[in-house]
Amino acid sequence: MKPPILIIIMATIMTGTMIVMLSSHWLLIWIGFEMNMLAIIPILMKKYNPRAMEASTKYFLTQATASMLLMMGVTINLLYSGQWVVSKISNPIASIMMTTALTMKLGLSPFHFWVPEVTQGITLMSGMILLTWQKIAPMSILYQISPSINTNLLMLMALTSVLVGGWGGLNQTQLRKIMAYSSIAHMGWMAAIITYNPTMMVLNLTLYILMTLSTFMLFMLNSSTTTLSLSHMWNKFPLITSMILILMLSLGGLPPLSGFIPKWMIIQELTKNNMIIIPTLMAITALLNLYFYLRLTYSTALTMFPSTNNMKMKWQFEYTKKATLLPPLIITSTMLLPLTPMLSVLD
Amino acid sequence: MLKIIIPTIMLIPLTWMSKPNMIWINTTTYGLLISLISLFYLNQPNDNTLNSSLMFFSDSLSAPLLALTTWLLPLMLMASQHHLSKEPLTRKKLYISMLILLQLFLIMTFTASELIFFYILFEATLIPTLIIITRWGSQTERLNAGLYFLFYTLMGSLPLLVALLYIHNFMGSLNFLMIQYWIQPLPNSWSNIFLWLACMMAFMVKMPLYGLHLWLPKAHVEAPIAGSMVLAAVLLKLGGYGMMRITTLLNPLTNFMAYPFMMLSLWGMIMTSSICLRQTDLKSLIAYSSVSHMALVIVAVLIQTPWSYMGATALMIAHGLTSSMLFCLANSNYERIHSRTMILARGLQTLLPLMAAWWLLASLTNLALPPTINLIGELFVVMSSFSWSNITIILMGINIIITALYSLYMLITTQRGKYSHHIKNIKPSFTRENALMTLHLLPLLLLSLNPKIILGPIY
Repeated sequence: MKPPILIIIMATIMTGTMIVMLSSHWLLIWIGFEMNMLAIIPILMKKYNPRAMEASTKYFLTQATASMLLMMGVTINLLYSGQWVVSKISNPIASIMMTTALTMKLGLSPFHFWVPEVTQGITLMSGMILLTWQKIAPMSILYQISPSINTNLLMLMALTSVLVGGWGGLNQTQLRKIMAYSSIAHMGWMAAIITYNPTMMVLNLTLYILMTLSTFMLFMLNSSTTTLSLSHMWNKFPLITSMILILMLSLGGLPPLSGFIPKWMIIQELTKNNMIIIPTLMAITALLNLYFYLRLTYSTALTMFPSTNNMKMKWQFEYTKKATLLPPLIITSTMLLPLTPMLSVLD
Repeated sequence: MLKIIIPTIMLIPLTWMSKPNMIWINTTTYGLLISLISLFYLNQPNDNTLNSSLMFFSDSLSAPLLALTTWLLPLMLMASQHHLSKEPLTRKKLYISMLILLQLFLIMTFTASELIFFYILFEATLIPTLIIITRWGSQTERLNAGLYFLFYTLMGSLPLLVALLYIHNFMGSLNFLMIQYWIQPLPNSWSNIFLWLACMMAFMVKMPLYGLHLWLPKAHVEAPIAGSMVLAAVLLKLGGYGMMRITTLLNPLTNFMAYPFMMLSLWGMIMTSSICLRQTDLKSLIAYSSVSHMALVIVAVLIQTPWSYMGATALMIAHGLTSSMLFCLANSNYERIHSRTMILARGLQTLLPLMAAWWLLASLTNLALPPTINLIGELFVVMSSFSWSNITIILMGINIIITALYSLYMLITTQRGKYSHHIKNIKPSFTRENALMTLHLLPLLLLSLNPKIILGPIY
């Protein structure tokens, strides 16, 4: 893609999300969502094959439906409250519609079916943007309407998302699908405490974005999209294999890595609100997630996967792939736990 | 406490920056020096605990375990020298760094004063152990072993996290020292039963309790020697230590809830001891013997009498040293014949007589010969369980007999009798191996002269 066009498209994506985050008028928020969606379609279709086109079509259809649902919710809210400003939504129908629309955009269960298929059809870089940047806008709207969200609905969605994210990822060997199911599960954790303490959702989103960015960048270093190609990394980048090990354990939520911080804080907030069974269930289901991350680390870092001998002798070209900001990203994704008391800056 | 933690952290740059022929010497020496520092904490005045800071403290329960942990690092390093000698330098340094990292987490776990801090470090010890087992184990079963190890422990400990956070909200603080004064009795109700279960299952899995012990033979057998040593000696004691700390919060429900676990432990110790008699794999035999000894500790902790707590603490320290020594002996066999099958290396007494002396002493301490601290531990536990219920003496007696049986079976099979023909070519014992056995045995025998330092806070 020619650089000027790429710059314009990237700028549109960022502007779209910024408009969503910074505006207080519902119409402008809808405009921001549409801008974002239309601009990311060419990014999803960077590789011109039928799989990418199918992926971008699926993405377009779900996001457009969700935007329309959001608009309907906005209109009903306008009807009952007479104003366009983003504030507490008193009408339950409007609030349920908006919640459903935003969870459709995020890929929460039961609207999660598009996430693995779209993520699989696109390149690693586009997948990275899809799973990290695109989550910011809907999350910011959920943050703003959080006092008026129906807790039962969102908690049900969150619980089923964690289950789907855990079980769905078990049978996958394609890295992009694994990251998609990981995204579904993490979104489930975030959705669970929006109604109780939205600050924890912001914390989880920040840490999730950091960890997912690091993971995708490590995958892009080797241009590997399957577990098999990831298992050849020990030959070229032995240090990166250790990084993948720690990063996967952090994504799985093991202490003392920073992936444990959101889980700990979310369980704390939920127990403060007298819910014991739900966080226990979510925590145990997160173990399913840990299983497939651990399987990735087994094939990458801890064993030597069976491969033919000519796979073991790779051409040692000069290192040209750009891994922007990779060291700080990895450090923040794994070593942030002692800084947990600094959480108060998020308030 | 920083005077132990910072030197341990500094051991990592020491390994990475030492000259290639000095890495083992440097780390072992400085590890031994650090263990000398931890001995200062054994001097505990009266009933009080020694508070080092807001986050760390040590009392007469954690100080012996701390000394055991720091004593074990140089021993692990000495034991690993042979099987790592053929590896490239970076991998050697990585292995040593994993051991040091594990040591660091263990030190912090035993001296943590807040229960959530304890939990985070309790889980943190899993990661280096997983890497050691899965990366440096020798057979293909190590992958399964790592998975079983990680997931059994995590399944038990995630409800513990929820329970600790609930108790934190309920009590206001989880600092162990303060919470002793705020404890309210826990009445019997369904939700309290689940709270008790959530708190205890993590430690039951770690100990391990008989029904949940499947991970232990796998992990112990597939781990390399340092992994087996630290698993048997220290990581199992984490479970015992955690149980002893958290039962203060759970009275008097423990009297009601303890019955199923007592039954499982009492039956389980006989079962696992009997399985030892039929094992062909030497490391597997020692692993099952660990389950059996730890079942005694579970019984002791659940009875909650002063004698049983003393017995549990003494048994934990004694078993740590004995089990680690047995694994070192088994490893010395494995390094020579590259097989763990017991009958392949018989009659070693004629070929390696000094090693036979260590085998004899290790087996004797394993079967709790007087006046070793193993006996003190077992005797206290037997007596206190007799006072809890008279019938348990039968089961305990059977267990002591079967323990003696398999310890002697192991000794006789490997040492006595006519040697098998193919082992005439084995190398004689290295000084390193003899030093290793001495360093294991000396604390064990010297402690029988002054056992009061390991008898715990109730003494």
